[in-house]
Formats: sequence, structure tokens, C-alpha cells
Amino acid sequence: MSLDAAFFLALLLSTLRQTTPLLLTALGGMFSERSGVVNIALEGIILFGALSAAVFVERMEASLGPAPWLPWAGVLVAMGVGGLVAWVHAVVSIRYRADQIVSGTAINLLALGAPSLVLTYFYGNATNSKEVQSRLPLLGPEGFALSPLVYLAFLLVPLAWWVLFKTPWGLRLRAVGEYPEAADTLGVNVYRMRYLGVVLSGVLAGLAGAYLSIGFLNQFVRGMSAGMGFIALAAMIFGKWHPVGILFSTLLFGFASALAIQLQGTDILPAVLVQAFPYVVTILVLAGFMGRSRPPGAVGKPYEK
Amino acid sequence: MLTDRRVGALVLLGGLLTLLLWYLAPWAVPHRLFGGEGVLLNPFGHHLPLGSLPQGYRDTWLLPYFYLALAWLLLTLVLGFRAGPKGLYLLGGMGLGLFLLLAFLFYGSVGQANAPALAQGEPPPLRRFSLGLAAYATLAFSLYLLLLGRLRAPGGLAFLVRRRGAVVPLFSLLLAVLLGGLIVALIKESPGEAKGLREALMVKLDLIAYTYQLLFSPLVSLPGFLQSLLLATPLIFTGLAVALGFRGGLFNIGAPGQLILGAIAAMLVGVYLPGPRWLVLPLAILAAALAGGLWGALPGWLKARFGAHEVINTIMLNYVAASLLLFLISTNEYRFFGQPVYLPFKYPGYEARSYEIRPEARIPLWTDLLAPGGELSFALPLAFLLGLGGYFLVRKGLGYRVLAGLLGMVLGYLLGGLLPGPQVALGGELTSVRLNGSFLLALLALLFFHFYVFRSVGGYELRALGLAPKAAEYAGVSSGRKMVAILFLSGALAGLAATHYVLGGGIDEYRLKQSLPYSVGFDGIAVALMGQNTPLGVGLSAWLFGVLLTGGLQVNLQLGISRELVAVLQALIVLFIAAGGFLPRYFTDPLRAAEVELRAQEAGKGGAR
Repeated sequence: MSLDAAFFLALLLSTLRQTTPLLLTALGGMFSERSGVVNIALEGIILFGALSAAVFVERMEASLGPAPWLPWAGVLVAMGVGGLVAWVHAVVSIRYRADQIVSGTAINLLALGAPSLVLTYFYGNATNSKEVQSRLPLLGPEGFALSPLVYLAFLLVPLAWWVLFKTPWGLRLRAVGEYPEAADTLGVNVYRMRYLGVVLSGVLAGLAGAYLSIGFLNQFVRGMSAGMGFIALAAMIFGKWHPVGILFSTLLFGFASALAIQLQGTDILPAVLVQAFPYVVTILVLAGFMGRSRPPGAVGKPYEK
Repeated sequence: MLTDRRVGALVLLGGLLTLLLWYLAPWAVPHRLFGGEGVLLNPFGHHLPLGSLPQGYRDTWLLPYFYLALAWLLLTLVLGFRAGPKGLYLLGGMGLGLFLLLAFLFYGSVGQANAPALAQGEPPPLRRFSLGLAAYATLAFSLYLLLLGRLRAPGGLAFLVRRRGAVVPLFSLLLAVLLGGLIVALIKESPGEAKGLREALMVKLDLIAYTYQLLFSPLVSLPGFLQSLLLATPLIFTGLAVALGFRGGLFNIGAPGQLILGAIAAMLVGVYLPGPRWLVLPLAILAAALAGGLWGALPGWLKARFGAHEVINTIMLNYVAASLLLFLISTNEYRFFGQPVYLPFKYPGYEARSYEIRPEARIPLWTDLLAPGGELSFALPLAFLLGLGGYFLVRKGLGYRVLAGLLGMVLGYLLGGLLPGPQVALGGELTSVRLNGSFLLALLALLFFHFYVFRSVGGYELRALGLAPKAAEYAGVSSGRKMVAILFLSGALAGLAATHYVLGGGIDEYRLKQSLPYSVGFDGIAVALMGQNTPLGVGLSAWLFGVLLTGGLQVNLQLGISRELVAVLQALIVLFIAAGGFLPRYFTDPLRAAEVELRAQEAGKGGAR
């Protein structure tokens, strides 16, 4: 196959599609880390979101039949479940002052096992859900149609910037993550801000999960997040905990994934090696740039009044 | 902290819960059908499905026994409010006696029913029988009373807090088991018909209890026990790998990738290096450790050199390793920029797997180690005994003691190999368990961990770096170099886990296969946390998970519940341990623990005066 215009157009669209879940998750991770809590559970939360969206929509279809509002309800369910799982992480790491990385890893381990139980219960197999008919619709001109969640993800970037840097709430969130003692003295409820930050990250990761299972595909497949949560965390670090930086870093990772997909089936590089692209890019990026960025001052440290 | 009133409330709570379970749950299950349904005994009415009890079965003892137990419980509820430690001990002891009495009565009546058939040489009518949840509730409440008694004794709380290394994991296990029971109740519908709400609840509770009986069944059967050791073997390695990182302040989530690299290296040496056994086998094992170690050292170097966080990098390297594995054994023909490239590694055929490991590089099975050719060998036991003797009899520095121990082991092995042993016959059920010499390697790894981390300068530096990185650095530990070394050792331990699968035939074949269960690398996190990063703890918790995994197979077979239940339990245990078992702060905070101890000491002095 030759590298022609069609190839590059497909590459561009694929980049946008691949960037979306990363961008959503990384923006969520930003809110969590800006509040001072590392949320390494994002990977697992994506899976829980994807699972709940697919199962909810499929079950509703089975009883009500397909409907245009169903996938949107599925998206809401996924956001709710994502927020709930993140809340568990918040309780364990904020209230019980657990090591945030260990707590997040526990949730990721849970996301490796729990979906199989749910899938076996509903579908009798442990690897994937039934396909849904009501997928999210595509928006845009013929040939360029993209899922509405793609547009939403990119719209969230200026919104997140405005919330974080131009509202009192954003100021308090950042203060809690930088120097909780000072914020506390000024009457900011440190715990409540942190809970909000973590739950918000879960809501966004759940949204990314819904995008994967009922926007990008039409079913839940075991392990379908494939490290996206971790790549999003790396992108967030690379983007220096700033929405605009995150936009560009997730685009880089999205491009690496898209390139891997577009190169599959060509005889340029073997597909199995090309699949490792995004992961290698993550490692290289972290090695090259992390030393120069500065995380929020109190990130990873439990706060004690 | 533990006032009279609080103890009274705790006794009341436990007692009422016990009473509820006595009413709702079966006391004993004399007969269980396939699919989990069973004949459930309860003084308030049995649950009797079809295919019921044989003629000679009697359980008239149940009602009188129930009144006796009720009397004990009422006594506990009345006296528990004001009982001191001695009174609680007495009440708990009585409960234990009651539990034993029930076991005696129940097994007696089952034996009576089975006697006629056994006398005629026929299979007994009652084969699958067990005590029920209500009986275990009695046992649990008695132990709870004994624990409360110990807590009320002087220095009781300090006693518990001092053992928080065991208390927190065990309490977390208990919580996870309770939550797991809830999950089972939710996802599995009760077997059989039930008349009325109470009977439905009884069947449901019995289902949960039966699930856990199956999960822990390897504890009471020899083949199951050996199988649990087999499944524990790789977990010991990966658990130690994660624990070593934790001790050094590094979180190694890369054990799956390190395991894959170890497996690849072991396969390369085991398949392609010709030579005698004494050379090839150690080289293959060494190669696994080295490859895993280098794969682990990479994120260590990235962290030391660039400050890149090891957690994300180890995870990314897992994915890269998985791609590498596929690249090597999924096909032999690739095209790079249009040019065909051929690899020699994949075995012809549909399945993605390598060529077979040469016989010289295989780790022998336990039957070949313990009884080669049907003759019991004294090589291993003697090596163990003399090794231990060598270590403990020499009274010099650590190096000399270890050297003497090693010499003793070699001597014992040679000597024992020459001694003639008696003939033994192992049943097919036992010989089918593919436990292999990797298990011994795992035990050696536990010893290595102990000596390296707790008895060597390098281990001291490692722990210092983990506890206080700044202080360690000012004390002269080169933190960057040390981090690379820690992750190298950690990766090497994870790489050794591959010897079990590839060289030891742990996946039924002596090959590298795509079905290599590398996710045991993640399970190592649970093992390390459960074991509190000590070698004894890691060994025990790896075994516990080995038991659960073996039992999970039974649960799947008999009840059709997915084996992932075990994975969920593991994840819950990790989550609960991270939260300190939701226990009071003095169980997780060393400073507050010391406060508790101090207070206990002062109280002790006050009493003496």
C-alpha cells in the first residue's frame, strides 16, 4: 500500500478518535492531582465505565427495544459508575490515608476480575458482552463524521482551563493540592475539595469508558482499555497538569496509537511490534520531559488536620 | 478504650448475630447433591430436597442440643456485660466445647447411616456432608469471646497492636470474605426450591458457606494441597519481587513484563543451548533471572537518570513485553518495509508456542525428586537437614554460617542420593499434580530475601532508602545506583517465576506459550501486601492464594461461579489492607501504636504498685 492522501486523512481522523478517551481521562486525572490525590485507578475506572455502559444499554434494549436516547442514558450510567468507583478510591486514600498508589492499584486489580463475574452473570462468558444496537450517533459531514464525545472532549479543554484558573472553585482546588494547610487556614474544606477532585476524575474516566464501549465499538471486551488510563496519566504529567498542555500531549499519544492502527495490514512494520508504539512513546516522553515539570506540591500526601 | 460498657455491647452484638445465624442458617448438611443443593438441618425446620436421607439416619439430638446451646448463649449475654477476662475465657471455652460436641454428634449420626453400606462393601449413601454455617457461627463467636477476654486482660490492646503485621491482613481477609459472600449471594441464584422466606434465606446462606468450603477445600485434601503449592510457586517469586521493591520504596508493577522476559530467556537457553544437564539447567534458570532483572532495571535507570516515575514505566514495559512475546512465537514470517524477515522460534502449527525445552534443561517434577523410579529418595530431606545443621552449628560470622549450610546441603544431597530407599507407590491423583522443583527454588528465594534484606549491608541500605530516602542519601547511599539495583533484583525474582512455567512444565508443556499466565505478576502485589513484605508473610500469603486458586477451580466446577471470584477477593484484600483494615489509627500509625504500648506499660506498673 502506498502512502497517499487517503492514508493521511484516515490517520488524522483516527488520531482524533484515539485522542478522545485519553483526553477525557487525562483531564480527569488533572482535577484529581490538582487536588492532591494521585488517581492511578483511572485505568480500572475506564473499564468499569465501559462495562456499565455496554451492559446497561444492552439490558435496556433487551427489555425496551432500541431507542435514540438509550446510548445517552448509558453514558450517564457510565459517568455515575466511574464517579462511584473513584469515590471508593477517595474514601480509602483521603479518609483512611492509604497509600494512594496502592489503593489505586487495588481498584485496577478489581477491574481485572470483576467484569468477568458480571459478564458471566449476564452473558455466560467471561470475555465480552453482547453487541448493542444503540450506539452513539456520529456527527459531522459525510466521511468526517465523528462521535459527539469527540467534540465534547475537545470542548472540555477550554472549559477545564476556565474552571481551573478563572473560578474561585478552581483556585481552591489548586490551593488544596499545593498547600492544604494554608487552604485549611483560609477556611477551605480540604477533604471536600479532594473528594470532588477525585470523583470528577472518575466521572470523566467513566465517560471515556462509555466512549470506548458504545461510541468506538458496540460492546464491552475484556481489557479493552489496554493501558489508556496509564498513558493518560503520563500525558497529564507531560502536559504539566495544564489543560492546554494535556491537549497537545494526548494528541501526541493519540497520533502514536493511530499510526499503529494505520500501519497494521501494511507491510512496513509487523503489527505486533507496531502495537507497542504508544507504550514506547510513553516511556520516551516520561524520560525526556518529566524532570522539567513540577507536580502539585502536596500530591500523593494524605492530609491530616 | 475498652470500657465495660463497650465490651458488653460487643458481646451483645456478637451474640445476637450468632442467634440470628442459628435461626437462619443450617446447622449441618448431611447430604449434598450436585449443583450445591443440600439437605439442610435446622432446629426450626429442615430443608429436604429430593434424593433425601437414607433409612438409618437420625438427628433427634438436634433439638436438645439446640436448647443446650441456647442456654450457653443466654448465659453469655447475661454475664458478658460484667465478665472479666477469666469469665470470657470460660464462656469462650464452653462454646468451643459445644462446637466439638455438635461435630461429634453429627459425624456420629452420618457414620451410623453409612455403616450398613460400608459393612457390605458398597459405596456409602452419604458422601458429601459437612457442618453448616450455624455451627461455624458458634465456633466464630467462641473465638471472638476468647479474643475479647485477651483484650480485657492487662496490656490486651497493646498485645494486639504489637501484632498488627498479622492483625491487619487477617482482618482485611475477613472483610473481603464477607464482601465476597455478598457478591456470591448476588450473582448466583440459590439452588433448589424453598418454602417461605426463612427457608430461602437458609438456602442462600448455605450457598455462600458451601462456596467458601469449596474455596478452602485444598486445605483438607492431599492432592489439593500439592496443587495449591504448585499455584503458589510463581506467586512466591512475584510476591517477593513486589515486596523487595516496597522495602526499597519502589513500587514494581512490572512483574508481568519481567516474567515474560524471563520466560523468553529461559526458552532460548533451554531450547537452543546444547550441553550437559549440570550446565544447561542452571544456565537456563540464570538466564531467566538475568533477563527479568534487566527488564526491571530499565525503569530503575529511567527513574535514577531522568526522574521518570517507575509505576507508569513498569506498566508500559508490561505491554511492550507482551508484544515481544507475540512477536517471537506467533508467526515466523514478518515483513519490514516490504522485505521478508524470517524468525526460527515458532513451532509449526496453529498454536502460538515455541519448540520444546530440551530434556537436559527441564526442572524435574516432585515425584522425580522425592521418589525417582518409585523408590523414596533421601537426597532432599538429608540435604535440608544437613544444610540446617551446618547453618546453626557453626558459630561464626554470617558468611561462614551460610557457607557451612550450603556445604551441608550438597553433602546431604550426595549422601542421600547414595542411600537406598524403600519402595513407595503414589496414587494417580497425586502423581498427576505437576508440582516441580521450582517450588524449592521459591523456598530458596524466600531465604535469599530474608538474608539479603535483613542480614546484609546492601539490604540495610535498601531498607534505609525505603524508609527515609533523604537520610539514606546523606548517610552515603548512592540512591540512583541503589534504585537500579533494587529494581534489577526485583525483576530477577519476577523473572525466576518463569522457570516454573517454561522449564518446570507449569503450563502442562515444556514450552513457551502464548497462554503464559503472566498476570500472576499483578497477583504478586496482593501477595506482598498481604504478607506485609516479610519473607514468612509472603510465603504464607502466596500459599493462601494458591489454596484459593485451587479451590476456585472447584467452585467453578461444582457451582459454575467464575474463577475470577478469587481475583476479586485478592483485589478487595489489597484495598482493605491499604486502608489498614478500617481498624483504628493505632493499628496503622507506628507513633500511635507506640503510644498504646506506653500506656499499657504504665497501667501495668500501676497495677504492680
